[in-house]
Amino acid sequence: MDPRLIEELAAVKAAQLDEARPGVVAAVHQAGRLTARERVGELLDPGTEVEYGSIAAIDRAAPEGTRGWVAEAGGVDYIGTVDGQTVITSSTDFTDRGGGYGAGRLERLFALAQEHRWPLVLFVDGGGSRARHPRVGLGHLELNGPFGRYQLFDGVAELSGWVPTVAVVSGPSFAGHASLAGFSDFVIATGGSSIGMGGPPMVEAALGLALSASELAGVEMHEMTGGIDLLVDDEHQAIAAARRYLSYWQDEPAGPAAAGAERIAELVTDRAGADGPYDMVPVLEALVDEGSLFGLRPQFARSVITAFARIDGRSVGILASQPGVDDGAIDEQAATKAARFVELCDAYELPIVAVIDTPGCITRFTGDDGTPQSQPGINRWHTRAVMAHHHRTVPLFAVQVGRGGGLGPAVLGGMTGGRSTPVLWAAWPSTDIGSGDGFAAVRNQHAYDDVIAPAETRQRISRLLARLPRQLDRPAKKHPIDTW
Amino acid sequence: MDAELLTQITDARDRALKATTARNRIERLVDPGSFVEYGVLAGESSDPDDDAPADGLVAGVGQVHGHPVTVASYDTTVRDGTQTDRNMRKLVRLLYLANRHRWPFVVFVDGDGARPGHPWVVPPIVVYNRGRFDVYEGLAELSGWAPTIAVISGRTLDGNAGLALLCDCVIATAGSTIGSRGPAGPDGEATIHTRPVEALAADGSVDLIVDDEIHAIDTVADYLAYWGDGFGTDEPSPAHDLIADIVPDDRRHPYDVRRVIEALADAGTVLELGERWAPSMVTALATLGGRPIGMMANQPLSPVAGAIDSPAADKAARFVELCDAYELPIVSLVDNPGYMVGPDAERGGIARHHARPLAALHHRTVPLCSVQLRKAYGLGPFAMSGWGASRLMPELRLAWPSVESGGMSLEGAAFLVKRKEIRAAGSPEEARAIRDTYAKEMRDPASGVSAGRTFSFDDVILPGETRDRIIALLGAIPRVFPAAKKHPIDPR
Repeated sequence: MDPRLIEELAAVKAAQLDEARPGVVAAVHQAGRLTARERVGELLDPGTEVEYGSIAAIDRAAPEGTRGWVAEAGGVDYIGTVDGQTVITSSTDFTDRGGGYGAGRLERLFALAQEHRWPLVLFVDGGGSRARHPRVGLGHLELNGPFGRYQLFDGVAELSGWVPTVAVVSGPSFAGHASLAGFSDFVIATGGSSIGMGGPPMVEAALGLALSASELAGVEMHEMTGGIDLLVDDEHQAIAAARRYLSYWQDEPAGPAAAGAERIAELVTDRAGADGPYDMVPVLEALVDEGSLFGLRPQFARSVITAFARIDGRSVGILASQPGVDDGAIDEQAATKAARFVELCDAYELPIVAVIDTPGCITRFTGDDGTPQSQPGINRWHTRAVMAHHHRTVPLFAVQVGRGGGLGPAVLGGMTGGRSTPVLWAAWPSTDIGSGDGFAAVRNQHAYDDVIAPAETRQRISRLLARLPRQLDRPAKKHPIDTW
Repeated sequence: MDAELLTQITDARDRALKATTARNRIERLVDPGSFVEYGVLAGESSDPDDDAPADGLVAGVGQVHGHPVTVASYDTTVRDGTQTDRNMRKLVRLLYLANRHRWPFVVFVDGDGARPGHPWVVPPIVVYNRGRFDVYEGLAELSGWAPTIAVISGRTLDGNAGLALLCDCVIATAGSTIGSRGPAGPDGEATIHTRPVEALAADGSVDLIVDDEIHAIDTVADYLAYWGDGFGTDEPSPAHDLIADIVPDDRRHPYDVRRVIEALADAGTVLELGERWAPSMVTALATLGGRPIGMMANQPLSPVAGAIDSPAADKAARFVELCDAYELPIVSLVDNPGYMVGPDAERGGIARHHARPLAALHHRTVPLCSVQLRKAYGLGPFAMSGWGASRLMPELRLAWPSVESGGMSLEGAAFLVKRKEIRAAGSPEEARAIRDTYAKEMRDPASGVSAGRTFSFDDVILPGETRDRIIALLGAIPRVFPAAKKHPIDPR
């Protein structure tokens, strides 16, 4: 072959690298950010990266001022591994025309993810598809595309419930970028970034409001309202969180009990006593493997806790009351948080451990005087969780710790005769379900499989889990994961 | 046989028949002579002189318009329509039959929850074998397999409310309430908390509000007709003659999309669901050429001019699941400026809710025909007709000559181009005039033709051709009920 062809290719490829643009890289670092490639480098195990469309990606070889429309500009896409497991990752490059995504490359990788069941990690900061000349933009969208080829968004819809999909947002993320995040199972955001359907210019055009990205759709707001799953400080933490989320996709052969696990009973205080409501988090930490509790949506609808964890190495989902917030009452948002989590665990074959101490369900609304009100009651947000539980097929372990009023236990643990029989419904001696204590409930009604001491719980669940292998070999996905 | 034995039964039955409220409702709903009652003698106690007729719940199998249906009614004249283990087992019996034979389930639910002195009714924190099929499980299992319909006419508390809110369709009479007793206070007494059904309808937990019980029962029968064979008519509505006059000449003027629904559907067959919530998305059942279908439409007349906000996205997603489960082809009428933007919409979680209709459309298998009446910008067209590539494409994608589409609205694009002038304008009116004038200049006067030329749609047609075109295509795709349930219908 003519060696000039090789040299030319090498030169084009070299021009894509961070080394070829020290000024841009310095500016990115100055802003406390990582470049698109640095993020991928930090996510993937070294030496496993395979780039797709490397020179389709970025038109940096073109002389300044002549860079025209390049369909696939704006990011880099890779297949690699994270802790040995293959993942697909796409990282938008916000220094390149605002980080418009390379739809063609992604659609191609989505097909591979679907075929091989590879998880997906998307770094999605940017403003959607790039604005073109307005007159060009008025064209009708090409709705009748070729069949069988994933389009960007139906690709994410298809992957939902089949492979874990993680979005990392570390800057302004609007329109199409926000849509990709919205479709993902797990959205990690760094402080100060924003996620919204329409960016500041569109909001100014449509509503006449001049707002910064953060004022409009800051992730600090989303953290409280459920729009994201985890808020972290910076991209390093975000990448660590993505790696951690993916780690639960695999089981470990064993895991250590938490320090102080034997004192778990002391963490549940007597409600009638002077101590008031207790915090469920330490109880959960004492139940699962040391340091393995990983909270999802921790600041949203806090009266219900959703978390991944391990018990003797086995990945599980934890769905628990938080008596320390609203006395553990389940409002609409807490109910939908529970429902979505059940779907998530069911899709990825994570057994669910439900830890229950709730007075029941409450409903929130605006009173006639315009003030926020709440009172006992249910609506369809609550039954949504019951419906999700009925249709799950992953093993369920329910532990009744205290109260179980109204529909509350069904929101957290489902009913006991659904499609999948719960593996264990156990009660702690502190159980208080109105008519008699836990002992009476078992003796008189066979309400529970057993009343067990708190310190016995971990071993009881672990022994049963050992008999229930994770069923990740299903030929097709069970269902998508509802984005809300 | 000893005549005394016969008399015992007939006497007991006569007493049971005193649950007349429940019986009158069922009698009005089912075809005459079709009702087979279950557990007529089942009382509160096994005492021959038991004074709780039918234990407060009349249950059985009947037919409505010749189609089988399971139906039950609490009776508030008997122990306040409360729930016991025994009357819940009647419901379980019906739910077994409904699941086994794919029959709809209708329940009149007004009542006061668990009967005092009968704890452990609902929810049963009672471990039992899978063979014991309980009420909530039975309803959840039936969801997406056959219609489940609840009628609320009066106060409905606790477990009775739970029954209603697990049903696909909740029909309530005006002024009824839903509520809960809540935990008992220090004196052992619980405070009853209720909310009007109108408030739940505004939140999407009640589908239809009707004037009275007679209307409620007739609405149940209508709802069941879409599950069945429709209403025996395929006549166009008189409104069809005026279908071309609905979209105003001025492209920015609103109109009521219900008029388009009315004009397209067979005469007198439209039943709107969820009229009181998410006003920017209209969902309705109807028949088209005699065939039951679902119609979803953006509402330009709504306060947000048809933009899809979080409630609208939720409403559309749920409706698509409902139509998919019941094998109702979907006709989608598109006229929206896209998803709702702005700080309130973002706070309402639109970045996540927006994906729900897209995901529902992606996973459906029923036929989808979309008609773009006017505009669709940004992700707006996809919200109503799916992305259409990897799993399924819409069966038919039509547009009217008034069609306009693009990445953003003409006004939005005009703002971006003329931003400096607009910001420098002396008044908001002047600013808007600059924007609107430029938007008007940019509007492609032949947008309809170009939409057809670029094959962005399967065809661009005259409004008056729409009905026949869709009927013809649907005629090629018969309604087929699969052998197993596809998915439940998410309550929200």
